[in-house]
Amino acid sequence: MKKVLAITLALLMVFAITACGGKTGSSGVSITIFNSKMEIQSQMEDMAKEYSKAKGVDVEVYYSSDTVAAHLSTRYASNDPYTISMVDAKDVYALAADHAVDLSDQEWVENTTQAITIDGKTYGFPVCVEARGIIYNAEAIEKVTGTAFDPTTIKTTADFQKLIDQLIAGGMATPTGVMNEDWSLAAHYLAEVYEQHDDPDAFIASIKDGSVKLIDDAKFNAMMDTFDVLKANNYAKDAAISAEREVTEQKLAEGEIAFMFGGNWDWSVINAYEYSEKMGIMPVPNDSGDGSSDKLVGGGSKYFFIDSSDNTSDEQRQAAKDFLNWLVNDADGQDFIVNQCALVPAFSNITLDVQDPLGASVKKYADDNALIGNYNYLPDDHYAKCGASFQKYLAGQIDRAGFANEITTYWATAEVGEH
Amino acid sequence: MKQNKLSYKIRQYILFAGPGTALFLAVVIVPFIYGLYLTLTSWDGVSKTKEFVGLENLAAAFKDADYWHAMLRTVIYSVFAVVFINIVSFALAYLVTQGIKGQNFFRAGFFVPNLIGGIVLGYIWKFVFNRAFVAIFSSTSLLSTTNGAMFCLILVSVWQYAGYMMLIYVAGFMSVSKDVQEASKIDGCTPSQSMRHVIIPLMRSSFVQCIFLSITRCFVVYDVNLSLTKGGPAGTSVMAAMHVYNQAFTYKNYGLGQSEAVILFAVCAIVGVTQVLIGKRGEVEA
Repeated sequence: MKKVLAITLALLMVFAITACGGKTGSSGVSITIFNSKMEIQSQMEDMAKEYSKAKGVDVEVYYSSDTVAAHLSTRYASNDPYTISMVDAKDVYALAADHAVDLSDQEWVENTTQAITIDGKTYGFPVCVEARGIIYNAEAIEKVTGTAFDPTTIKTTADFQKLIDQLIAGGMATPTGVMNEDWSLAAHYLAEVYEQHDDPDAFIASIKDGSVKLIDDAKFNAMMDTFDVLKANNYAKDAAISAEREVTEQKLAEGEIAFMFGGNWDWSVINAYEYSEKMGIMPVPNDSGDGSSDKLVGGGSKYFFIDSSDNTSDEQRQAAKDFLNWLVNDADGQDFIVNQCALVPAFSNITLDVQDPLGASVKKYADDNALIGNYNYLPDDHYAKCGASFQKYLAGQIDRAGFANEITTYWATAEVGEH
Repeated sequence: MKQNKLSYKIRQYILFAGPGTALFLAVVIVPFIYGLYLTLTSWDGVSKTKEFVGLENLAAAFKDADYWHAMLRTVIYSVFAVVFINIVSFALAYLVTQGIKGQNFFRAGFFVPNLIGGIVLGYIWKFVFNRAFVAIFSSTSLLSTTNGAMFCLILVSVWQYAGYMMLIYVAGFMSVSKDVQEASKIDGCTPSQSMRHVIIPLMRSSFVQCIFLSITRCFVVYDVNLSLTKGGPAGTSVMAAMHVYNQAFTYKNYGLGQSEAVILFAVCAIVGVTQVLIGKRGEVEA
């Protein structure tokens, strides 16, 4: 009796082991996708199921809240990389040489201006377009002014100030909000100072060697003048540094304030509240007179790359390439990006209408070719260190000269990323 | 079989302590040594090659002004937090061993904060400081000033650890036998005298333990730091552990971050061990 039991158990175990090992897709190819955009994780999972069913390729989607580079490094260290990884632009520059497949021969390359190309080889597939500017709540503005709001009429700091004064006179005591997060201040707002120069590389180099004094730079002062308007009319003026992002966005969504510097990703926060449909993004108005107040700043955001290591087979790589093509060229793939995930597509052949108002604004500027590109080579500690300086400025602990001074000091030792 | 032969002893050791030793080696010792090796490289955390640079990282760590600011901040924070954690937990332990009504309920109640994870706890207190207090006192948030943020960190740490340390002190109080306490009373001690000269000396090992635990925990504080202040305002509440994380993972200087972590470990170990040695020296038994 005991013997029989033992044999049964042994058989069961063997069965269990083979059952575990034998799990493959219907065509035998399975690919893994790393998603680093938290807000689309459930959509990604649903899509993976549908895609697996339709194409016979097993797709599994993973998410991690870790820093992208840190997470991928652990996967690479354990020789278990994802077939396709979604990363930030700077990660593509850091990883491509060692880990990414050359995608230059893919069809979709011609349909986008946002792919990442290094030394003539395309490595990064742009997942979506994101851009920065001043988010406005037109409904709130029109309620006070009584006239239709046309964001294109706000070109200069004076225009902006005039409208703010009008709003205050009409009863909106504090028409603006300022996000105090270091990434918003330094990686997004301060970065516009670099990006709006014709040649950001040269501008940063000239700050480094001292040939341009930041405090005397016209662009810097123009952008800071506008920032001062935002700062002076901030609803949380006295506690600017502890204001919470959710509160600020809620006030904007519900029309208690009218303006906030941000980008279309803020929609994922705004849509949690009772938002107005009449919102949008406009360029940061400024007095530099170079046309930058007609353009948003932004471009491709989040990139897919395909693993080139021996851990991924050629079949898997082909399946991964097919998947990227599906996103761009298949009606279902396009629907997934634009409708399911509410992203702004980075490909000219995708003509579906973007649903959310902020994304629609960005799409409009992108279609009009009115985007100033991202500068993707800022050092990794730029946002934290310059962000801390910017926070001091926001809190009134240092003045503009002191702020410019700290930024200049930062650049004295910092080096931009290789590109 | 001879029981004093070396091979016998080894076999016995492997049989009983082998699994534990293997695990300890695998998850503590090996990573630690590998970490030491990484301090000698200029690895960025992702690339395939780990270039050997010798002691450059260590030299850079000593020159990293931000790191030493963070370290100084950690020391200040730890001093305040350790002192207050122990004062508060000792007082609580005293109160809940006096036989007051429902003392078990109070013991559990004071211990609960310790069951809430540091991240969650930070967010809860962030809400309290940023919204509740601001609404009640219509003042600006404490978290928006440098000293205020440090104060909040200390307060939250005390709240979090006091209950835990209280348990150790409670055990300490219980272990002081009733006869010596009664003897001291018969000898004419006032309650405060018997506390000072009898109970506290007998509880010395509890103090050593609690202070050691609170020092080591405060020195490597990270979770509360992250969720409550995120190093703000303007990076003035970044503690050593957070700086190490940023250096290694955010700024992608893995080798440098690792060196700074080793220095933090050394400082923490030296302070902790010194404290235990001094504390143990004066231990008495009834």
